[in-house]
Amino acid sequence: MALRELSSLEKYLGLKKPNKYSTQGDKKVPVLQNNQGPPLVGLITIACHLVKEAKRSDLLGESAESRAVVQQWLEYRVTRLDGCTKEDSKSILKELNIHLQDNVYLAGNHFTLADTLMYYGIHPLIVDLTVQEKEQYLNVARWFDHIQHVPRLRHHLPPVAVLRNRIYTGRHH
Amino acid sequence: MGWKRGWRRKLTFLFMPCVSSCFSAAEEEQQAQSKKGLKKQQKEAEKAAKKAEKQAKVAAEQQSAEEDDFAKDRYGVSALVQSQQKLDRTLVRVQDLTPEKADQLIWLRARVHTSRAKGKQCFLVLRQQQFNVQALVAVGDRASKQMVKFAANITKESIVDVEAMVRKVEQKIESCTQQDVELHVEKIFVISQAEARLPLQLEDAVRPDGEGEEEGRATVNQDTRLDNRVIDLRTTTSQAVFRLQSGVCQLFRDTLTKKGFVEIQTPKIISAASEGGANVFTVSYFKTSAYLAQSPQLYKQMCICADFDKVFCVGPVFRAEDSNTHRHLTEFVGLDIEMAFNYHYHEVIESITDTMVQIFKGLRDNFQTEIQTVNKQFPSEPFKFLEPTLRLEYTEGVAMLREAGVEMGDEDDLSTPNEKLLGRLVKEKYDTDFYVLDKYPLAVRPFYTMPDPHNPKYSNSYDMFMRGEEILSGAQRVHDAQLLTERAQHHQIDLEKIKSYIDSFRYGAPPHAGGGIGLERVCMLYLGLHNVRQTSMFPRDPKRLTP
Repeated sequence: MALRELSSLEKYLGLKKPNKYSTQGDKKVPVLQNNQGPPLVGLITIACHLVKEAKRSDLLGESAESRAVVQQWLEYRVTRLDGCTKEDSKSILKELNIHLQDNVYLAGNHFTLADTLMYYGIHPLIVDLTVQEKEQYLNVARWFDHIQHVPRLRHHLPPVAVLRNRIYTGRHH
Repeated sequence: MGWKRGWRRKLTFLFMPCVSSCFSAAEEEQQAQSKKGLKKQQKEAEKAAKKAEKQAKVAAEQQSAEEDDFAKDRYGVSALVQSQQKLDRTLVRVQDLTPEKADQLIWLRARVHTSRAKGKQCFLVLRQQQFNVQALVAVGDRASKQMVKFAANITKESIVDVEAMVRKVEQKIESCTQQDVELHVEKIFVISQAEARLPLQLEDAVRPDGEGEEEGRATVNQDTRLDNRVIDLRTTTSQAVFRLQSGVCQLFRDTLTKKGFVEIQTPKIISAASEGGANVFTVSYFKTSAYLAQSPQLYKQMCICADFDKVFCVGPVFRAEDSNTHRHLTEFVGLDIEMAFNYHYHEVIESITDTMVQIFKGLRDNFQTEIQTVNKQFPSEPFKFLEPTLRLEYTEGVAMLREAGVEMGDEDDLSTPNEKLLGRLVKEKYDTDFYVLDKYPLAVRPFYTMPDPHNPKYSNSYDMFMRGEEILSGAQRVHDAQLLTERAQHHQIDLEKIKSYIDSFRYGAPPHAGGGIGLERVCMLYLGLHNVRQTSMFPRDPKRLTP
């Protein structure tokens, strides 16, 4: 999973030479063997490295505050989202929904790496939601639909249908 | 009283010893004895005096009470009505108690819904079917204290005859249906007394579920209602539901009769299962067994072949499905239609949808009181429909579902959640709660469905939906014996069992189509209720056979 994400990220960033990754441990943490120094271990570490390589540091945040927020969401992805249970997924969606009520993207008003990796991570949850649940987490659905339409981003993931109009406006459903 | 004389005798004895003190010892002893005896007698006499005083007081009170109860003849429990006399008395209906009747003295018969005493007054709420009115028994020149006490003690649900003056009120009485008037009771008689302990309280039975939870008050659950159906049916909500249901039946008959349909009665004891053998009740029939009809399908068609052209029937349908859902009953009332057409089965669809629209209009225009009464306990959005009725093709429906992210094959049947989702999508796009889905895949329809002439994968069949739930399944029928035999063989049905059915098409049969609806389900969905048992008076399901 993580390897496919990284190769999709490379394609998005427009990196010409695809890297060779290996994994370590039971959790299959990705490892990138670098000529210039010690190997890079971990999805977030490698992703940040790729972004810098592609000279797209803006994806990590413009100001100090937004950089911190981006790192926070990247951590969230790896610690809370990966391998969460059914009950956890409901609380994660709720948290995200509240956060996205006032934010266009996760880090505020600009698209960042946090959006990309959270999108990859949350895709399996969103795929299983019914139409009614997607309306319940309206902000998450709005953000998700927006991110999945960013050019060259989606790659390995199937699109998820998100309806434009609310259909559950009645009182009793 | 006897003790008076004896007391004087004892007094004389008492005085005598006190006066002369120079008596002999024996005489003294005798005197001492009689002193003790006298004291004892004195005490007893005191006791008796007190008791007599009390008795006299009570008797005096009673007498004065009887004397004070000037209203004795104006209340009480009447003798059992065994048709002793023909009283020429008009009883006014509660729903007619309006300010126009102010200051009139009227008689009425109603149930005591509640009675509440407050000092010298007793407030009663008198109920008659969906209507209720406040009545007041107050101590005054017409009513006595005893009468007010009597009124306060009448058990709930007792039937009473009341003579009262109708009075206008300045402040509207919000808790009653008759809000502008109040009754000032002059006479009240109990015609039929209810037992003090009711199996359920009517106020609880009409309380909306949410309100019950919020205020911590009781609501009545469905099983209790169904076990004590007679009392549950007295609630204003139940009265409204079943009056509306009666209206549906009435409108169905009237609309179809106007269109030239003939009402027929079909047999319910049949020799072979009509819709496929799985869900049919078996009855013992003398030396063999027979089945209870799952639908009047076969007989409707035979009537068409018998040249009745357009028929409908209203009757019970028996399905032995072990489904314990909110919308399945083992016995329900089926409203079935069958019609011969000229060239295209859409003629029949138009006829059926027009009938449904006339029913909806009739309910909307003539049963608003009932709809509002039901909405008080079960709020819902008003039923919306289009004229002419919306008709979508099955492929369009599948496309709409796929757009919403549902994955399904072209020839798959719609599952219940998908039907509901499609209902919401249609509501959002076209703003209607009622629509027709036409051209279902052939594979999921019964053997007597006519295949589509242009595409063998589809059929000339249709379903109609209300609020996203299916209410009618219909189709153009195969009216050719040869084709029918082929279709039956394809579905692996035993031809022997349906021989008489196939035979009816051998001697000239017109092209025809039709469909059937369930009365209870239509009422439930029109009112926006959530359980079909609420619209069935004495429902039957796999777990319930009584009342």
